[in-house]
Amino acid sequence: MTHKVIKVKDNDVVGSANDFLSHLLSSGKIQALLVPQNTPSKKVAFPVLISDPKKLHADIVAPILPVSTAAIVSKMTKVQPPSKPLGVVMRSCQIRALIELVKLNQASLMNIVIIGVDCPGTFPINTYTEFPEKKTPTQFLLEVWTKKSDEAEKYFRSACQVCKDPVPTNADIVLGFYGADIEKEIFVEAHSEVGKNILQELSLEDEKEGKNREKAVKEIRNEKNKKRTVFLKEKEGIKGIDKVSEFFDKCVNCHNCRQACPICYCKECLFDSSVFDAEAYKFLRRAEIKGLFKMPNDALLFQLGRMNHMILSCVECGLCEQACPNTIPLMEVFIPAAENAQKEFDYHPGKDTSEKIPMIVYREDEFLEVGEK
Amino acid sequence: MSEEKKEHKKEDFEPKIVGFLCNWCSYAGADLAGTSRIQYPPNVRIIRVMCSGSVDSMYILRALLEGADGVFVGGCHPGDCHYIDGNYKARRRTVLLENILGTLGLEKERVWLRWISASEGQKFADTMKDMTEAVRKLGPNPIAKHWNL
Repeated sequence: MTHKVIKVKDNDVVGSANDFLSHLLSSGKIQALLVPQNTPSKKVAFPVLISDPKKLHADIVAPILPVSTAAIVSKMTKVQPPSKPLGVVMRSCQIRALIELVKLNQASLMNIVIIGVDCPGTFPINTYTEFPEKKTPTQFLLEVWTKKSDEAEKYFRSACQVCKDPVPTNADIVLGFYGADIEKEIFVEAHSEVGKNILQELSLEDEKEGKNREKAVKEIRNEKNKKRTVFLKEKEGIKGIDKVSEFFDKCVNCHNCRQACPICYCKECLFDSSVFDAEAYKFLRRAEIKGLFKMPNDALLFQLGRMNHMILSCVECGLCEQACPNTIPLMEVFIPAAENAQKEFDYHPGKDTSEKIPMIVYREDEFLEVGEK
Repeated sequence: MSEEKKEHKKEDFEPKIVGFLCNWCSYAGADLAGTSRIQYPPNVRIIRVMCSGSVDSMYILRALLEGADGVFVGGCHPGDCHYIDGNYKARRRTVLLENILGTLGLEKERVWLRWISASEGQKFADTMKDMTEAVRKLGPNPIAKHWNL
């Protein structure tokens, strides 16, 4: 692992990070960068594909995740990966999602240089757009970070509050804030050979306080893990058909959650297919069985069916919840379900591309009690 | 009096069970039970599928949410699958479905996966008897009362 630092000039973290990125781009080590950058209105930061270093005004701190970066990398690489290295700035949840998409043959890591960024959390789109404090969300976040206070916590999306791991793993290069005195420096670490080669050629200073980083990362992981455990305990209450149906009551079956989910990649979702088209008499017959019948039908079937299809790969990014027009707190059900299902198969989504997705492999001598009771 | 009436009602309750049987083993097993004139409860409504591995969880959920009292999936014994490993995949899928139903506190006991070969007519009949009784004990599927799903 190579440990370097970016010196922060004039207390401008974002600008100094941009200097690094633009240096990376003009060095020719990468041909382009996919990085979050605020739109001209400054109301939202989207992943932007930048090839001209002069046009780079990115904001790698911007606490917003409007779309899945993993899904964008999938779109860019699944037909044919780039022929020269492409730098992709991603948060840890999106790196996990990308690894899952690679396993599902929906993305390629060929010539993709993953630049992971420490992520304390992101705000819902509308909180970011109409931020109540008298500063930009990025300024606010950096201030809170320097003060080490938890003022930002109340603005974070619920998925971020109980994030599985805010520190990127599986990245080629990591831009680290945890443990850094961000008024002075940001950590730059190479986690792979590719990353090492790139960093070697950029003249960066060596990291002096490596222990600080290690300790801070351990601390934040512990802290988030504790919060997640508390969350899991609290949400044990959603059990039984009465509570489950009440939980999903506001679902209008719009499938936005599926659209936002990085894991749901199917070109034609089963739930959009003609399987659900039926003659009028079939609807009427179903109404007759219960005496009455809510329309649009099959909302809960969609939710539970989708859960069955993607939960083992769920990286808990919470984009489903953010996409819900009726603000159903989906993570309250999806995080416990993901936790239990992934534990059952001892599966860790996003950990390693060589770990096979449980539903495509099997062992002859497993779950012997199922089918033989 | 009303207690008695309830008790009486539970005994009267005839579970509706949806059975997905694989074409090569379990369906033939059910066929054998029939041609051998082995008696078994008529509570199961059989749907023939090509392989237990082709039964997506969605179909099982659909039956449960529509108010079926139980869902049975029958496949070839491990190692006997006509498509080499469909039943192994069905087994993993069942484990996943049961896990999710468990998380949400929806009765996973209503879903049964069993291996029944083409020669096991008696086993099919016995399994149907066992399942009908087990589901009768569980009582009617509470989901059946919910129309707002």
